[in-house]
Amino acid sequence: MILVDLWEGTEPRPEVERFCEMWGIRGPILLDPDGDLAGPLGVRGVPTNVVVDSDGTIRAFGAARLDELEQAVDDLYGR
Amino acid sequence: MAATGEREDPAFPVGAACRIDSRSPWRQVAEIPVGLDPEGIAIDGERRRAFVACSRSDFVSVVDLETHDVIAEIATGAEPIDIGLDEQTGRVFSADAHSDQVTIIDSATLEVETVVPVGGYPSGLTHVPEFRRLYVGNSLGSTMSVIDLDTLETVATVDAEPGAGAIGVDPTRRLAVCVNFVAASANFYDADSFEEVGRLELGTGTCAIGIVPERGEAFIVNSIAGTVCRIDLDAIEVVEEIRTGQAPVGLTLAPAHDRVYVTNRGAGSVSVLGVADGAEWSQIPVGNGPGGIVVDRHDGRILVANAGSQTISIVEDLLAAKPPAPVVEEPSPWIGEKLPTFALEDYRTGERRTNADWAGKKYILNFFASW
Repeated sequence: MILVDLWEGTEPRPEVERFCEMWGIRGPILLDPDGDLAGPLGVRGVPTNVVVDSDGTIRAFGAARLDELEQAVDDLYGR
Repeated sequence: MAATGEREDPAFPVGAACRIDSRSPWRQVAEIPVGLDPEGIAIDGERRRAFVACSRSDFVSVVDLETHDVIAEIATGAEPIDIGLDEQTGRVFSADAHSDQVTIIDSATLEVETVVPVGGYPSGLTHVPEFRRLYVGNSLGSTMSVIDLDTLETVATVDAEPGAGAIGVDPTRRLAVCVNFVAASANFYDADSFEEVGRLELGTGTCAIGIVPERGEAFIVNSIAGTVCRIDLDAIEVVEEIRTGQAPVGLTLAPAHDRVYVTNRGAGSVSVLGVADGAEWSQIPVGNGPGGIVVDRHDGRILVANAGSQTISIVEDLLAAKPPAPVVEEPSPWIGEKLPTFALEDYRTGERRTNADWAGKKYILNFFASW
């Protein structure tokens, strides 16, 4: 899971730091303050999950509900 | 500031009175830039103004609803989230989460009248003109403050649960309902004695409520589950769970109480749900990351605070009744395509990270914002 922070409106680092402390988040976090990646992908809300296969192909998009995300991951691994 | 995105269509005249079954079930009227992270909206019908709580700007933007210009920015406490307006006194109330207070603004002079301290992290409020009461949900305090609308005295501080925020009141049953985001629950109180008369465990991420007294029902949003619960207020039980768009967070009722409008923060849209049938009638696209929502009783237009776009959307729901075809969410055209090349800064290391860093791996990009 790679987190991508966007649309903070202010300097994102302190906001991301506060958010990660509050929720105990670890792992990679990328900053996309101007929507350089989110914009072309058509991301219009948060959270949005984009499931990417090992060859770089997008397999699922959206999947904000837990059941949808679990299904997308199962599909990704052929379970 | 100027309005943007005005798209008038002469084939479809303005106003709820002109609702017709049309080529499109909705119409975009305007998207207006306001302050940072707008979350709550209240409407001054007499002066044709909208008050928008801009939580990252620590002010309330005042929007002229005729010209769509921002005419004032009123400083509040830190992180104003929710907002309401009492027509009888002309007072505007903003719940300032990081200041543990409610700021009271005079809607005529647009000046701050006073502040009232409440519990920790007030994140939701509602006022009930019939009771002359303002109810405030204090998320960190796990309490509900009750304030007299006229004297501004705190008449009660009632125990609730972690994440107390949105509050709904049924004046007919004299019932107050406090929705608790973290506890994923709702407490039901006698509105006069504040004695707890019931409690419900709900879906995860409960965060908004609307009440239809004539049906004895409440609608409560479950943001993480992506649903809205229909509650029987007499039995105090969940009778239905209605699926919405992605990550619903805000809710308001149409003036006729025939439909519920729900903002989908994960989809940039508003779901229109039928009150009687519990079906999703349509989805109206708005700005990015929508949250607060209100209906302008003057013209039936829907106002939405878009936290991601830093705007408010004004849209019209043109459906006269339930459409014959159900809503079908179109899958993203990116499914089956290659992820675009990216080079983004790593928050932890400051390095630029690209697709190549995860080449040959399966992964999930989770787009999020801290608000």
